[in-house]
Amino acid sequence: MNEKRYVMGDTAIARGAIEAGVRVVAGYPGTPATEIVEDCLGYPGVHVEWANNEKVAFELCTGASLCHVRAMPVMKHNGTNFVTDFLMHVNFTGIRGGLVLISADDPGGLSSQNEEDTRILVHQYAHLPIFDPSSPQEAKAMVKEAFDLSEKTELVFCLRPVTRVCHARGIVKFEELPKDLPPAHYQPDRERFIMSAVEMPKFGGVKRPQIRHRWLNEKQALLQEIMEESRYNWIEKEEGKTGLVGCGMGYTLIKEAEQFLNKKLPLLKLGTLPLPRGKLREFVKGLERVVIFEETEPFVEGLFKKIFHEEKIEVEVLGRSGFVPADGELNLQVVLEAIQKANPFVKVSQPEVPPLNVHIPIRTRTQCVGCNYRGILNALKQVVRKYKGVVAGDIGCHDAGSFRPMELQSTIYCMGSSVPMASGMVLAGLNRPVFAFIGDSTFYHNGLLGLINAATQKVNVNVILGENTVTAMTGFQPHPGTGTTISGEKTIQVNVAKLAEALDISYRVVNPYDIQECRQALEAAVKEEGPSLIVSSMPCYLLSTRRGKKVFEPREVRVDLERCNGCMICINDFGCPAISLNKKEKKVSIDPMICVGCALCVDVCKRGAIS
Amino acid sequence: MKMDVVIAGVGGQGNIFASLVISQYAMNKKLNVLGSETIGAAQRGGSVVSHIRISPGAIYSPLISRGQADLLIGMESVEMLRHLRLLNPAGTYLLNAVKIPTVLNNMGLDEYPAEEEIVLAAQEYCPNGRVIEASALAKKLGNVQMTNVVMLGALVKIVPFFDYNEVKWLVNANSPERFKEANLEGFEGGYKLVP
Repeated sequence: MNEKRYVMGDTAIARGAIEAGVRVVAGYPGTPATEIVEDCLGYPGVHVEWANNEKVAFELCTGASLCHVRAMPVMKHNGTNFVTDFLMHVNFTGIRGGLVLISADDPGGLSSQNEEDTRILVHQYAHLPIFDPSSPQEAKAMVKEAFDLSEKTELVFCLRPVTRVCHARGIVKFEELPKDLPPAHYQPDRERFIMSAVEMPKFGGVKRPQIRHRWLNEKQALLQEIMEESRYNWIEKEEGKTGLVGCGMGYTLIKEAEQFLNKKLPLLKLGTLPLPRGKLREFVKGLERVVIFEETEPFVEGLFKKIFHEEKIEVEVLGRSGFVPADGELNLQVVLEAIQKANPFVKVSQPEVPPLNVHIPIRTRTQCVGCNYRGILNALKQVVRKYKGVVAGDIGCHDAGSFRPMELQSTIYCMGSSVPMASGMVLAGLNRPVFAFIGDSTFYHNGLLGLINAATQKVNVNVILGENTVTAMTGFQPHPGTGTTISGEKTIQVNVAKLAEALDISYRVVNPYDIQECRQALEAAVKEEGPSLIVSSMPCYLLSTRRGKKVFEPREVRVDLERCNGCMICINDFGCPAISLNKKEKKVSIDPMICVGCALCVDVCKRGAIS
Repeated sequence: MKMDVVIAGVGGQGNIFASLVISQYAMNKKLNVLGSETIGAAQRGGSVVSHIRISPGAIYSPLISRGQADLLIGMESVEMLRHLRLLNPAGTYLLNAVKIPTVLNNMGLDEYPAEEEIVLAAQEYCPNGRVIEASALAKKLGNVQMTNVVMLGALVKIVPFFDYNEVKWLVNANSPERFKEANLEGFEGGYKLVP
């Protein structure tokens, strides 16, 4: 089989891993990496799973690797942060079966809470090698090679694709799948795999952490040798004193920019860390300056400066420490401007386009029309207003409740932060009711530990668990509260009532499509001492609809214009996209093209104008 | 000949289906194709844009830059405006005249431009364009979700690059069994919508 297909970068990465003989794939959903895990499904002999968090996924994959089986943990940058503790041990022990970490970065935070560059964490901090792909096809080739090199060097290899690689679609070659993979086997090697402060007689009693550190340091020369020969780094020779350096997507954008320049400049394409020192030396001969394009931090730039300092090379190094903007995603415009600024002799000819003299409104995302979160969020809004409460939020679909018009949650940080942050507010002595709002996938990721702590410390915090039984935000992945696995097989569904019983905290279940019921439960929770858990339980509307299941009986909803006085409660405290204000008449209307008939707004209107 | 296509809309309008049909069409013609999608927040009514780059030669960036698009498909009025400057003023646009207000529009805090204003801005920018009521036709045919196939039908009529029969075949091949008939009807309807 040798077939060309038009696929997403994520699909190409998955296929590369499968062709390399990966046997265990585990991850936690996160844009832009989600599809990598899903596209590994359907190959015989490959275990694919959504773990409840990235650390579990990574540790599970390492277990497989120690049995000489190839494994691939998959995550976005936030997940890589979360596994740092484990990463800082597995780098010292090394691995057996090829282990390739996929750490997808999202420059510009297109679908993330932050933007960051995990190359720093994986390479600078953990001293592990990285491939930085410039296209879907290259990403596939890199994954395959990373598995071989991981075994050869006994080190975790990392692929760091950015959103524009993961979610680009291109023509990718699908090749043969491997046959007859070796079976798993295990021999103990405690000197490697017991990470502990124990004296090592072989090394005159020096403790093991230092010896393993030394082992990792000694690997760097081998990595250096491998990257020097790597086919992912090359020089494109041209005349000129200003050289361009493109790392991953940076290279792609330089190639795009070339079409708008009157001449090509010397170009160094880089796809590996560590850097190929020899190629660098060769490239900079005769140059006065280099401009480095990389996503997102000036990381390679820093490494260039260090190497040039060590080798006494007097070449100016420019890049993302300010010469190129130090934040956000690279794009063609940024690259063209930087090239021209670095070399004023280069002419850029880009077509001018006329300006637009029309106002273009910004479109922020919100909950879907018909989403059950809108019911519980509205009830919470009412209770928060009445009792002057504060809400700590979390990651997931409900986060849109913190934007306009609801503006309900006051904080959003990382997976599971809501409950401990809310607890801290209570323990600080804040004399107001404090709520934490967390979705169920996030709860099983890292939220449960915060709840156990709140129960142990007997914190008077009100935790709302939005139980829609799926990881909806990233496209409906199952989690421990779903009852099925990634492949649709039946499995356990965590019993939250029993969890609450084990924690000895108050427990209420409400139907989010019943705002009255939600409000009563929330008020009762406010009035009692100690931690309260309110489970707002209803499957995701969008997923249910796609599967032909009803979560409510749809009905036609109308506004009685006589009764509507334009108070805006249905818009400001509820924010359904189907409801809008007619400014002239000061009345609201419901767009029948958008409304799905959940009728939640009927309860929201205090004047009974919606029926 | 290169063909850079931008499809701009709101989550849930079926951009990705349309972009897959166009990409496969180009692949069948043995052309090089590279594309990019914004997904992630798409299901929650956010802006969604697909870029499809088609060329007989090498293509580098998965994103189309300012003034480079040959074709802009606007699934929603404001979303087309948002990406209008990607279009080469000598190119072509096809707009579905439908208005999906933003959250701030609904709150009365931001103005959604008037239809005449949108059409005028588009015409001033690029003389070669068509405005059709694809969503209205899709709804009449039974499902507003068919807007994308109606748009593909209209596209085939106005852009000579696309062959009627080949695109129709791809619409059929990419549709789930239970939607095949309706999607083909939508495609035909879109084709007839343009005089």
